[in-house]
Amino acid sequence: MAAGELEGGKTLSGLLNALAQDTFHGYPGITEELLRSQLYPEVAPEEFRPFLAKMRGILKSIASADMDFNQLEAFLTAQTKKQGGITSDQAAVISKFWKSHKTKIRESLMNQSRWNSGLRGLSWRVDGKSQSRHSAQIHTPVAIIELELGKYGQESEFLCLEFDEVKVNQILKTLSEVEESISTLISQPN
Amino acid sequence: METTSEPPLDAKSDVTNQLVDFQWKLGMAVSSDTCRSLKYPYVAVMLKVADHSGQVKTKCFEMTIPQFQNFYRQFKEIAAVIETV
Repeated sequence: MAAGELEGGKTLSGLLNALAQDTFHGYPGITEELLRSQLYPEVAPEEFRPFLAKMRGILKSIASADMDFNQLEAFLTAQTKKQGGITSDQAAVISKFWKSHKTKIRESLMNQSRWNSGLRGLSWRVDGKSQSRHSAQIHTPVAIIELELGKYGQESEFLCLEFDEVKVNQILKTLSEVEESISTLISQPN
Repeated sequence: METTSEPPLDAKSDVTNQLVDFQWKLGMAVSSDTCRSLKYPYVAVMLKVADHSGQVKTKCFEMTIPQFQNFYRQFKEIAAVIETV
């Protein structure tokens, strides 16, 4: 029995999900044999392999081009007309899958392409004024900020920074310049 | 009345650093070998930080636009709090 004829929508959905986990989200241990035995146990390995490759190729093409729904429909229609392509049922399953998983897959692709550290977290506290009987100096309030940074697939690094009020306001001014730049970029036509 | 002058650090890093310099750029990732159509803007930051000994290190990181907006919002909160303390 051919893989194409065998499956219902649910099985192909499961396959696409597993392929996405493997290809985009970096989930380990998803082998061809695992997929075949779990989802298509009645299909012979030598038949499953090209089927899997075809599905993975289609998913990668859609993700790589970041297809909108018009492009997606055109692309999938073309695939149904190809020799050795997909069925229209399969096209429907793939279309549904991309529509619900697009955002998450895009996010993974963005993370994979970032080779610098990303900002994984930020926590902070403000310590209050304190004074000493023996010292004339009054300590000013201080903000302690901890940045959690990390490269894709690597453990986090923590960076702890201390700011007084002056410094906080300086940074705020810089950040407002960044925001202005972003507004300018977004308001420009592509 | 004497109170402690050094705040106790419950932070995960051992050392607090002073920020010496904050540089930024706004970039647009266009395409990559794994994704031909990336099309996302990002904010890249380069910090120069000095530890207690005065040694200066450079730390670089990137933020997506939503991450940056959260970063900015947090700093505004910090500013509001530090003003009232």
